[in-house]
Amino acid sequence: CAGASEKQVPLDNFTAEEIYKRGEYELEVGNPRRPDTAMRYFSEVERLYPYSEWAKRALIMQAFAEHRARKYEEARASAQRFIDTYPGDEDAAYAKYLLALSYYDQIDEVGRDQGLTYQALQALRAVIEEYPDSDYARSSVLKFDLAFDHLAAKEMEIGRYYLKKGHYTAAINRFRVVVEDFQTTTQTPEALLRLTEAYLALGLTDEAQTAAAILGHNYQASPFYEDAHNLLLKRGLSEEAKGESWLRKIYRQVVRGDWL
Amino acid sequence: QNYQFSQLKIEGNERIEPATIIKYAGIGRNEALSAGGLNDAYQRLQASGLFESVELVPQGSTLVIRVQEYPTVSIVNFEGNKKLKDDFLAGIVQTQSRRVYSPATVEADAARIVEAYAQGGRMAARVDPKIIRRDGNRVDVAFEIKEGKVTEVERVSFTGNRAYSDRRLRRELSTKQAGLLRAFIQSDTYIAERVELDRQMLTEFYRSRGYVDAQVTGVSSELANARDGVFMTFNIREGQQFRFGNITTISTVPELDAAEFDKLAKIRTGATYSPVAVDYAVTRMEELALRKGADFIRVEPRVTRNDRDQTLDIEFAITKGPRVFVERIDIEGNNTTLDKVIRRQFRAVEGDPFNPREIRASAERIRALGLFSSADVNTRPGSASDQVVVDVNVAEQPTGSLAFGASYGVESGIGFNINYQESNFLGRGQYISLSFGSGTDTKNYGFTFVEPSFLDRNLRAGLKTWYRTSEYSNADYNTKAAGITPSLEFPISDNGRLGLRYTLERDTLTDVDDDSSQLLKDEAMIEDGSLWKSSIGYSYTYDTRTTGLDPRFGWYFEFGQDFYGIGGDYQGIKTTALLRAQRKIMQEEVTLRFDLEGGAIHSFGDYDTRILERFRSSGIMRGFESNGFGPRDMDVANEDALGGLYYAVARAEAEFPLGLPSEYNLAGAVFADVGSLWGLENTDGGRIDDGLNLRAVVGASVLWNSPIGPLRLDFTKALKKEDYDREQNFDLTVSTRF
Amino acid sequence: CTAVYRNHGYVPSEEDLALVEVGKSNRDDVTRAVGRPSSAGLLQGAGWYYVGSRWKHFGARAPEEIEREVVAISFDDKGTVTNVERFGLEDGEVVVLSRRVTETSIKGIGLIRQVLGSFGRVSADQILNR
Repeated sequence: CAGASEKQVPLDNFTAEEIYKRGEYELEVGNPRRPDTAMRYFSEVERLYPYSEWAKRALIMQAFAEHRARKYEEARASAQRFIDTYPGDEDAAYAKYLLALSYYDQIDEVGRDQGLTYQALQALRAVIEEYPDSDYARSSVLKFDLAFDHLAAKEMEIGRYYLKKGHYTAAINRFRVVVEDFQTTTQTPEALLRLTEAYLALGLTDEAQTAAAILGHNYQASPFYEDAHNLLLKRGLSEEAKGESWLRKIYRQVVRGDWL
Repeated sequence: QNYQFSQLKIEGNERIEPATIIKYAGIGRNEALSAGGLNDAYQRLQASGLFESVELVPQGSTLVIRVQEYPTVSIVNFEGNKKLKDDFLAGIVQTQSRRVYSPATVEADAARIVEAYAQGGRMAARVDPKIIRRDGNRVDVAFEIKEGKVTEVERVSFTGNRAYSDRRLRRELSTKQAGLLRAFIQSDTYIAERVELDRQMLTEFYRSRGYVDAQVTGVSSELANARDGVFMTFNIREGQQFRFGNITTISTVPELDAAEFDKLAKIRTGATYSPVAVDYAVTRMEELALRKGADFIRVEPRVTRNDRDQTLDIEFAITKGPRVFVERIDIEGNNTTLDKVIRRQFRAVEGDPFNPREIRASAERIRALGLFSSADVNTRPGSASDQVVVDVNVAEQPTGSLAFGASYGVESGIGFNINYQESNFLGRGQYISLSFGSGTDTKNYGFTFVEPSFLDRNLRAGLKTWYRTSEYSNADYNTKAAGITPSLEFPISDNGRLGLRYTLERDTLTDVDDDSSQLLKDEAMIEDGSLWKSSIGYSYTYDTRTTGLDPRFGWYFEFGQDFYGIGGDYQGIKTTALLRAQRKIMQEEVTLRFDLEGGAIHSFGDYDTRILERFRSSGIMRGFESNGFGPRDMDVANEDALGGLYYAVARAEAEFPLGLPSEYNLAGAVFADVGSLWGLENTDGGRIDDGLNLRAVVGASVLWNSPIGPLRLDFTKALKKEDYDREQNFDLTVSTRF
Repeated sequence: CTAVYRNHGYVPSEEDLALVEVGKSNRDDVTRAVGRPSSAGLLQGAGWYYVGSRWKHFGARAPEEIEREVVAISFDDKGTVTNVERFGLEDGEVVVLSRRVTETSIKGIGLIRQVLGSFGRVSADQILNR
């Protein structure tokens, strides 16, 4: 394609700043969608001029470009190298933040692998603790909560799997993990409702009432409390909580992949 | 004597920031510092690995830190390497461009390259790194490699082996003596780890033949002077061959009675002792305990030796193991697959008693899904002593394929086909396939959808629709077929499954060639060629090959019937049956398979069967073209094959390894098929012999488990066939994993 | 069609349970006698529950719980056993589960990318289909 010829130009006789500027230009204006050429420029700066101020800035820009190109492993490697070589630098905060971001952006739907979520949480906590007053920390705190919530959602999903199949103790243990370890997340109200349902199904009505009481006490307005309330008073669930006809149920579960 | 510095001065640094150096040194402004503190700062700077030399020079109230940085590496290259390619070497070498150059790393890299060559059997390889200084304190690193010749094993000999000859033992080793093809065969190259592997294989060879105390006391290998040949000697101490004494079973668990388990031992007193037989007995007993729903059961084989008459008495003790529970099942690595698709393969639920055999069986089921390149299930201690966490770690493999194609056939003209297949649709484990093929006059549209666990139950629901117009090769008429089949399949016993299906289809038989059989012309006249067929069908399968008690022997039975006549024009019953027995012999390396298969069609009501409803010869026996054998009308020029109402075939096959290293995934097989296709409702209108004429075929084949699926290359020879049959001596087919 | 039966969970046997004396044993005695509970209550000091059930799998029908035993051991605030109760399947209630689910903010990858995401498997029968 068109850009190819310009890529082969040997950069040895350009100064570090010129190569860096071309890289920056390529990233901002050239083709932001495909930052490969920008990445090449930044790596060339570091190779040809390992002693310049530009080499340091090129390394962090390279990590940024790789991150944008969704090449998360390479972005992590570059960011880690920056942190090791320039620990004292004020850009190290950004490098650590970029490292955390690379894990966070790979987190996927709840049903999928959560190994990345753990790593994202650890990296985000590192940024928050080491640079508490930087604006990276503020955005890390927000992302930390979201990732934490994601982890709770994973426990809930497995809990619902066992609840639906009627293995109430397995479900109860999973929901209790959410209530005990993840109270600050948005999943807790639903966990308490599921506990009410599971204890009731086992016939442990007083435990069910305790769970519903905690739910009512802390999350009065939550629709989950309304379900728990109706459940205990045997008044039947509200309209959208209940399942409808047999055929719609098949459509929901087989085609849309809903859980119930 | 301690210091206090108000000012730090850094000298000699080019690439590394002053702030970085201060951070590593860790000395604060005006901080009281003892001599030891100063030395610690020195150690920290040294340990950072960034500096060739570090000097701390206190000058009054300022501390001068003088550093000499390591140069950075500009280019790394390799010269003289033929066997191992550059990028392979770049992978194992630590020195990378743009990284800090350190002489220690370069030395270690040279050693790594020598090691890589030794791995490949080139003991005589030499590597010496060259450093080329560049301006701006940068260096280029070049590794000069002299590979030297391959060290081959000239001769392998044994001492102390009385029971088995050198030649027999050599067959057991993975290292082979260098023969004529020494340049090509790699297994005669002398490699250190392989010696350890051979030592183990020799010991196992003897142990599995009753020599309980057999040992390889030592392996000596002298290097030929030119370092290209090795003479290896294995010294063996065989000891005595032991036989099985008396075999007993006791049970300390009240609800399990020993007699029932004793039957499963299946070990004959007096037979040569073999550890494998004991393992199988334990497997069978633990399997039975699992089936009877007893928890925490462990079967321990207690061996008592009586050296006088060289027998070993085995007592299988059925005991109650420790109370251990499954605390959690954690699943990782499933980037696209949903958690429940894997979790539902476990029969164990969190909180259940821990049963290792059941967990291993679940791991097999996960691997059998075919969605993962690797799926390992292992356990680690949980939060309490009686809790265990099951860790599932899967690595996914691509499960979708999209094939485009344009085909040009002399008769069918230009055709396009698109075929989309995905066996893990949206990560839900659902199978979906869409095919769209259109030639000038052959059309082929198809849609298949399978949900393996419908409504989260162990219930496989499928829907298949198709529309095909095609010309059967070497037959002179056109057909059109369209249909839809919803189906359900579910387990009805431990090893048995039942499938129910309804099929609505419309088959059309048109423009039969003039000089084709009169029979076909009449059939094309029925309902002006197209018949509606509506049928319900069931198929019962019973498979003990994976789940059975005895891992070496298993059999598979399938019986299916379709009842045509629930509406539609055609009434009839189609029955098919298959019995396959499979046995592994000779240390499970050779698999014997024996099939008995047959089918019968009985039509009643207004119409007899047409060629479309009858059985075809393709897929029944190997060694013939499609429609290659079976009743044929010899009166007409086209001599069309007419299919048959009945077929029966017996197949015997032996599959064996070809002795090639396992990474080639090649195996060989020899087989024999005997069978026939016969029977027509009416044979008037042409010279047709629809009698039961047996055909017999023998053949050999190469089985290749290729990256695109299991392939079979069959070479066949028909021993007995009718003169009008059309033989085909070579065939390349996809061998369905039956 | 024959039914396949499977057990899940664990309930201590009679003799083990006899070792737990109301008013005397504390949590450690219970753990030694019958092991840790399958599940427990929500609050501090809540009861311990042992649940064992027997399931019947029959053909295409959903698996059905035909037998369930729940042993509930409750404690007072000092941690000594106050009561050992037994519940059966009939004490449980058939609960209609609420379909409502908490929405997570993290967007999954788009449908199209998912569908096209896992390509690369060339399957032999596509190439050889005759």
